[in-house]
Amino acid sequence: MGRPMTEAMAVDNVSKVFPPNIVALEQASLHVTKGEVHCLIGANGAGKSTLLKIIAGAVKPTAGTIRIDGRETHLRSPADAASRGISMIYQELDLVQQLTVEQNLFLGQVPARLGLIDARTRRARAVEALRRVGAGFDPDARVESLSVANRQLTAIARSLTREASIIIMDEPSGPLNETELERVFAIIRELTAQGVAIVYVSHRLEELHEIGDRVTVLRGGRTIETFDVADTDDRTLVHAVIGENRTLLERHARPPLRDDTALRIERLTGADGLDIADFEVRWGEIAGITGLNGSGRTSLLRSLFGVRPFSGTVTLDGQPFHPRTPIAAISRGVGMVPEDRKVEGLILDAPVYTNATLPLMRKSSLARHGRRKAAARSVLARLSTKYGQPEQKVIQLSGGNQQKVVLAKWVANRSKLLLLDEPSRGLDVGAKADLYELISELAADGAAVIVASSELDELHAHCDRVWVLYEGRLLGSFDPATTDQNTMLSAQILGRNHA
Amino acid sequence: MPDSESRTGEIPAKASAEKFRPLDLLIQYNFVAIFLVVVIIASLLSENFLTFTNIANLIQQAAVVGVVAVGMTFVILTANIDLSVGSVVAFAGMVVALLLAAGVNPVLAVVLTLVIGAAAGASMGAISAFAGVPSFIVTLAGLVSFRGLTYLLTDGVPVSGLPAGFSSISSSMIPLFPGFNLSSMGLIFIVAAVLAALILRLTVFGEYVYATGGNPEAARLAGLPTKRIVVAVFAISGLMSALGGILLTARLRIGQPTAAQGLELDAIAAVVLGGTSLFGGRGSVVGTLFAVMLLQVLRNIFNLLGLGSFYQMTITGVIIIAAVLLNRFLDFRRGRT
Repeated sequence: MGRPMTEAMAVDNVSKVFPPNIVALEQASLHVTKGEVHCLIGANGAGKSTLLKIIAGAVKPTAGTIRIDGRETHLRSPADAASRGISMIYQELDLVQQLTVEQNLFLGQVPARLGLIDARTRRARAVEALRRVGAGFDPDARVESLSVANRQLTAIARSLTREASIIIMDEPSGPLNETELERVFAIIRELTAQGVAIVYVSHRLEELHEIGDRVTVLRGGRTIETFDVADTDDRTLVHAVIGENRTLLERHARPPLRDDTALRIERLTGADGLDIADFEVRWGEIAGITGLNGSGRTSLLRSLFGVRPFSGTVTLDGQPFHPRTPIAAISRGVGMVPEDRKVEGLILDAPVYTNATLPLMRKSSLARHGRRKAAARSVLARLSTKYGQPEQKVIQLSGGNQQKVVLAKWVANRSKLLLLDEPSRGLDVGAKADLYELISELAADGAAVIVASSELDELHAHCDRVWVLYEGRLLGSFDPATTDQNTMLSAQILGRNHA
Repeated sequence: MPDSESRTGEIPAKASAEKFRPLDLLIQYNFVAIFLVVVIIASLLSENFLTFTNIANLIQQAAVVGVVAVGMTFVILTANIDLSVGSVVAFAGMVVALLLAAGVNPVLAVVLTLVIGAAAGASMGAISAFAGVPSFIVTLAGLVSFRGLTYLLTDGVPVSGLPAGFSSISSSMIPLFPGFNLSSMGLIFIVAAVLAALILRLTVFGEYVYATGGNPEAARLAGLPTKRIVVAVFAISGLMSALGGILLTARLRIGQPTAAQGLELDAIAAVVLGGTSLFGGRGSVVGTLFAVMLLQVLRNIFNLLGLGSFYQMTITGVIIIAAVLLNRFLDFRRGRT
């Protein structure tokens, strides 16, 4: 690179352990020089968000050092980081919906004299910042009335109002269209020309090529490598992101697909651009759905479970299917294992048997503890769940066994269509293998299973078909027996059907 | 950039905020409309209703609940609640009475009492914010403990023998314009409400209150001292409760330990009726002011009609439910869930 390499920020060997002992980052490092666009990529759970939050002062590291402008620093709070010239654009959570655009732009640093807001100065600076990002909306508009794209522009305009020397952008491109993204890129170039360092997080490799100078890859909480973007091809990056252990997962033999269709989506549309057409699952099939975060995996499953409104034509077992509540979906034999089992899947402080038999309770008016314990015992035995007593609290089980309890709900309820959202998240290798074995047993018994996951290697190893979602649309399905992972991966990341 | 234009064009940022649609405006400021309807009904029922004397009376009668509700508005805007206010009113009323009876200089007694009230509120706020305990629980404990403390001060006996001049805090008649004399406690209520409205609207602190209630995580990430803001709003609520207690004692001319029971519910009802969201981030002191007066006018109407307090309680509850349902409907119409 031709430009002088003056260090803006150096993060060295930073680790973060969340209690009790979840390791989010393990000696990760990131060196950013002034005037560069430094991209950060990594799969889900690689530790990107934790690293960004540490840099923004929102999370304190367990170990490691941070140097800003050559001086070692301890960032005590977001305000502290901001005062040292670090500005962070979070994906969503940093705008206050009830306030106006202008109020949000200056939140935390309102121009004021003696505690009184200097409204005139604030208005002038707000208009200027919004003009720079090309925003066509009123500074007095409340953020909740804006589209997602305009909220993103507001967040970017906000970082312009602070005299930041390091700006962190966490997937800024998500909601933006091409014109808006071009405008953001122009602003980035303007800023870097002034010596501002940009840390740019994106899954889209084409953006990296367009705007990035260097790229650091995180995997499993560690820094894998930092590349010069110009000298690096996509294949190298993709390998660095997913790592070598993906070859360890052997593809499992699957019986031939049956002819009878379980679920068929002719068209399903919903909020945030979800638009699914021509999707089907047969009885006895394990269908994989993959895609980046925000591609609509979870939204699709939640729509099918009656949690998220949608319109369109869907049939289940040949009959029209349009659930408006979970109860409606459950009574048609649908079960869902949600993405976050601790929040949405389990009542952590309740006993194992209560959790395993919760959907059964709507069929009777008495609690029937004895009968439910018996039912739970038999289902949990079938899923080879390890637990002490049915009365044991579910929070005391391991992650893998907790997930089996979630699954047991629907097995006990004899659900025929299972919607599994990231079912292997947080499980160790053994527990994952166990889980997929169970899934294929359930499929062998005739259930249709949809597994949504960003873990492509798992889907590749266990599914009959893998569908790729990109920005709310299906790109099509792949047969894992005849398609290699790289083809699917480039579809997942690049949104292209061919590598 | 045609695409971006059309996209921003879709968003009715201006349409909702600036295009005047009378119906929307009416729905938005429904508490004003309801207030006006009730006032018209009252003036039809009694010729004496729209007289200066009666209006001044209404404001004076609403003053104690009013100042407490103004403080409560700050707390609820941050998505917290303060159940202790009734007990703090009684406690402060007793404290100021005891100080005066002991011969302390009246100005000093009032200031001391206000400081004690603010400190009581601040400490409850601090426990809630820094230990992460819901304010509902902390202030519920405050409700019980401060009432207990109030009784302990004199073993439950009222305090009398206050200096004669002290009642002038409440009942000096101040001529605002010819023919309209407002008692000092009514004036204090109005001034406190106006001051609070200005603080919320014009100061950085006010904006922080809305931001903390609207999205505490976003506020924290923007560098706002959200915990200290929560402590501050509870301090304000404690301060206003102490003010309410002082006004009450001055008007009754005794310190009454059983005073202001259930006052917290009247104050919360007024804040919610005035359109402030219990989920935080939305609302105003102006709404609270109208709601306090609305409830007072209703009481006045019931008295004019000769309906007893049982009717008053029942119908007040029904009106609160109706107002809250209306606000939910508004949220729904604006696409909030």
